[in-house]
Amino acid sequence: MARAPLLELRGVTKRFPGVVANDNVSLSLAASEVLGVLGENGAGKSTLMNILAGLVIPDAGEIVLDGMPIRLATPRDAVAAGIGMVHQHFKLIDTLTVQENLALGDRRWGRRVVDYRGLSRTIGGLARELGMQFDPTARIDRLSVGQQQQIEILKALSRNPRILILDEPTSVLAPEERGGLFAMIARLRERGTGVILISHRMEDILETCERVIVMRQSRVVGGGAVAGLDRAALVRMVVGESLPRLEHRSAHAGRPVLTVEDLVLLRPNGLPAVAGASFELRAGEVTALCGVEGNGQSELIELIAGMRGPQGGRMVYHLGSGRHVGPMSPEALRALGVAHVPEDRLRYGLIGAFSLADNWLLTNLWNAIFAPGGWLRPEQGRIRCGQAIRAYDIRAGGPAARLRTLSGGNQQKFVLARELADTPQLIIAAHATRGLDVRTIDFVLRELLRARDRGAAVLLLSADLDEAWEVADQVMVMSRGHLRGPVPLAATTRHEVGHWMTGTA
Amino acid sequence: MDDGHRMIRAFVVAVLAAVAVPSGFLLLAGKAPLATWGALLSYTLGTWVGFSDVLIHAIPLTLIGIGVAVAFRAGIFNLGGDGQLICGAVLAVALAPILGGFEWLGLPIFLVAGFVGGGVIGGLVGWLRARFGANEIIVTIMMNYVALQLLTWLIRGPLQDPLRIFPRSYALAIELQLPIVGGGTRLHAGIIAAALAAGLMQIVISRTTFGFRLAVLGESSGAAVYAGINVARVTVGAMVLSGGFAGLAGAVEIAGVHQRLQDNFAGGFGLEAIAVALMARLHPIAVPLTSVLFGVFYVGSGALQRQMSVPFPLVWIIEGVVILAYLGFVAAAARKAARTA
Amino acid sequence: MDAVLIAGLLAAGIRLAMSIGIAALGEAVSQRSGVINVGVEGIMLVGAFLAAFGALITGSPWVGLALACLGGLLLGALHGWFAIVQRADQIVCGIAIVILGLGLSSFLFRISMGTAPSALPAFRALDLGPLSTLPLIGPVLFGQNILAYIAVLLAITLWFVLARTPVGLAIRACGENPQAAEADGIDVNTVRFGCVLFGGAMAGAGGAYLAIAQINSFVENMVVGRGFIAIACVVFGRWHPLGTLAAALGFGITEAAQIRLQTWYPDVPYQFFVMLPYLLAIGALVFMARSAALPQALGRPFVSDRNL
Repeated sequence: MARAPLLELRGVTKRFPGVVANDNVSLSLAASEVLGVLGENGAGKSTLMNILAGLVIPDAGEIVLDGMPIRLATPRDAVAAGIGMVHQHFKLIDTLTVQENLALGDRRWGRRVVDYRGLSRTIGGLARELGMQFDPTARIDRLSVGQQQQIEILKALSRNPRILILDEPTSVLAPEERGGLFAMIARLRERGTGVILISHRMEDILETCERVIVMRQSRVVGGGAVAGLDRAALVRMVVGESLPRLEHRSAHAGRPVLTVEDLVLLRPNGLPAVAGASFELRAGEVTALCGVEGNGQSELIELIAGMRGPQGGRMVYHLGSGRHVGPMSPEALRALGVAHVPEDRLRYGLIGAFSLADNWLLTNLWNAIFAPGGWLRPEQGRIRCGQAIRAYDIRAGGPAARLRTLSGGNQQKFVLARELADTPQLIIAAHATRGLDVRTIDFVLRELLRARDRGAAVLLLSADLDEAWEVADQVMVMSRGHLRGPVPLAATTRHEVGHWMTGTA
Repeated sequence: MDDGHRMIRAFVVAVLAAVAVPSGFLLLAGKAPLATWGALLSYTLGTWVGFSDVLIHAIPLTLIGIGVAVAFRAGIFNLGGDGQLICGAVLAVALAPILGGFEWLGLPIFLVAGFVGGGVIGGLVGWLRARFGANEIIVTIMMNYVALQLLTWLIRGPLQDPLRIFPRSYALAIELQLPIVGGGTRLHAGIIAAALAAGLMQIVISRTTFGFRLAVLGESSGAAVYAGINVARVTVGAMVLSGGFAGLAGAVEIAGVHQRLQDNFAGGFGLEAIAVALMARLHPIAVPLTSVLFGVFYVGSGALQRQMSVPFPLVWIIEGVVILAYLGFVAAAARKAARTA
Repeated sequence: MDAVLIAGLLAAGIRLAMSIGIAALGEAVSQRSGVINVGVEGIMLVGAFLAAFGALITGSPWVGLALACLGGLLLGALHGWFAIVQRADQIVCGIAIVILGLGLSSFLFRISMGTAPSALPAFRALDLGPLSTLPLIGPVLFGQNILAYIAVLLAITLWFVLARTPVGLAIRACGENPQAAEADGIDVNTVRFGCVLFGGAMAGAGGAYLAIAQINSFVENMVVGRGFIAIACVVFGRWHPLGTLAAALGFGITEAAQIRLQTWYPDVPYQFFVMLPYLLAIGALVFMARSAALPQALGRPFVSDRNL
């Protein structure tokens, strides 16, 4: 069906120092159409959307709206052009209320004094129409992640955009909540809005979009009507080749490595983040920890990794010589053979301004090879680091290169190399594949499986049930601080686990 | 442009700016800039008296600057150099009367007492920051004023000279005074202490796990927690060292220059030391060099006042401009580096 | 402790609080937008000098005040340029301005006036007729000079602006999450620069108050830490304009009290009383520091997501 395009991008190109983010990208969107932009992390999708949102100015190419070229130099221009954007990382201000966030930058609600009452009325009506809850005076940091996303969407919609762009909207939602989002997109389509859905998940695209374009390494490599596309063909377009499936031999669970009993951690407001968790991790086994973001999994990981102390319960590590009762400091744990791949590598696991060699030392200060008696042996760090760079094929300038010069994928490879270097017996991997390209994800999962086959116990915190099903032997779920499981994978289904994640089982 | 070249260029640019802006004010005061700078340089670098004065000023500045650098590496701003200097000097002088029986050990103990006096204050500030999150910038500056009042009281009260005429403490015994090393000048052996401190702390910073932990804490508190670094312990440790060196500077100033406590015996090293540490890029080994630079400004301005009636506060205009010029250049260089990364 | 004594203490406390309070109000706005300016001390010194100088030459304290605000504005612009545009470390910037301010005020003083002026045109206490002569509350509430009343009005206005206007919302957004503010079309750096300018002007005004409303003279280095206490007031007042002014009042009362305590307890060395305001500031920071009201983006230079 040939409809006059509402929006067109023609030959858009954007270069950043050292990398081309978008190379001659073209797409078109009609009114009442849902267009999917599919591609793995790093393919250039976000840059393209930032161009449409007025945050980035392209080096070449045109943006054409209703047949007329336009210039989007600032976010205000984008809003004026009728383009609304819901970012992957919410641009909401946690410490302000819902109505304050909605009023920000919006001259409609008054130039001298903000008319919060009018705002509540209007946007409240819109919320009701879309089936969303709306409490204007609630602070953003008191809302759940799903609710925050709804506010982001409301904010974009309140400006009556003709085009709505959603950047990876399902990454923070539980499987159940996705249905609600897709229903809302369908409603928007009926109203005449053109929707662009960016995702790396094929299921999302196949379920909601009429057309799709596939991006890989800054270019558009294919696409077409979704109805006529074959899933395998899509995979080939996204990845560029077929990757061999991960071989997953059945586990031979060995002795317990970590026993956790009634672990409790309270939040500053007194409510429990972890409300009495009990489980056991065994050697030679991968345990997946799943849950919707914000339900206590991150806190549980921090407790096990020694970054925080619990307010109740206990952890017993059965490592090396014998039993060690926690809480113990991360340094002590490492000395015993515990590895931790953190969920936010740049915030916790690595120091961008340090060299690779110094980042290697970061978790080896307990180790007499690197720091005997309080004295540093930087040469050892350089040597080991150099070995790791070669062994893991890390693209870097050498041990003296600053860490922040590495790409995200190479940074994660470095973390993995460092953590697995001393054949740890317990590996805690939190969101280890987040934001990585398919090849690196494959690499990371293979390394974790290899460690498992060597006899390590692996705890894998993952938001992706598909990933869990690919590598795990048993699964446990956290919902509102309560732990469910662990349950052998064979004894449950993705559907059931999805129910557990939203606490509706 | 690597770090080494950047250091030198920053040095040069800052010096040039330090000349241009103050020159404007000199004109305002009716003084010829060229002649003024000439006089400043010829006194501080051209005469032995002048240069020895520069070194004498640089000694406590180096010590305090080293302390500032150590704390700053961990992301802690110790602006309390003046107060910690006073506390160190006070403790040392308070103990002085009983040090007579220790013979040659007396002077080292005197200096250690200075370190302790300042270190205790520093440690307290570090603890308040680690335990309560109290902003050390304000706390240390407030303590400067508290220490100043303490000094004012002590030299008019418990520590006062037995004659009770002037507001000053009793004099130090001759064994507790630092010997003169520069023949014919007032340059004292404290210069050895400063040089040793610079070398020692450079080793600690770059070759010990403590120094590494400082750097980690200063870069990323998240990484510090992840790696199991005890943030409170490192914070307090850094501040004990930082305050300790300032306290040592106090003891050195008394033992080397004044031989007794008196009003305003050490004026305004604290803020100068921030600039000194910063321009040394927080490398203790480079702090003596930047201290000499600021010594040139300080002593030179004093000479200008004596010789040409140029108001002494010119020194602070120079120093303020130098810091800003340096900041500006570093920021520009950082942006250029980010663009080409 | 009779009522007359307390009234006298309060009246003096208000009078002594205002120089800190005015400067603190400016700093509160600046910090709410995300920029910390520790150079307030230096700007107050320059403001004090310019006010004295202006008042002396023209005979009008208002000219002195205007000159002080202008000087504060310029120094604020200096801080803003380095901290915001150059993205240099905000603390170090501020320290440089403290040093610079000390140098400028003392240097210019020496080449212009030379000695402490004896008869400085100043803001005197207002005489509001019968109101001022009311017992007890008269001198406290109605016997202050006009700048004090302006300061209170300013605090109330700032509170309203921050809480209920688009400008205030934009300022708060810049201080909490500048990336989000930018995505909503707000020019973060311009908003911050404006707030820093305001902060500078207020610091200048605070110094002016000291010279031509409180002490009625100029002496070198006369601010003696009040600029830093002003910053403590912002923390103590939880970045709220009224709370900040109230915190400044607390310091004013403490200073008034310590002067009286010296005469009441002559056996205690007076230095211990002089210490009180500074110790109070330390105490305030210890108990209030972990405040949830701290602007999340305070002290961090804003790097735009927009790549042009």
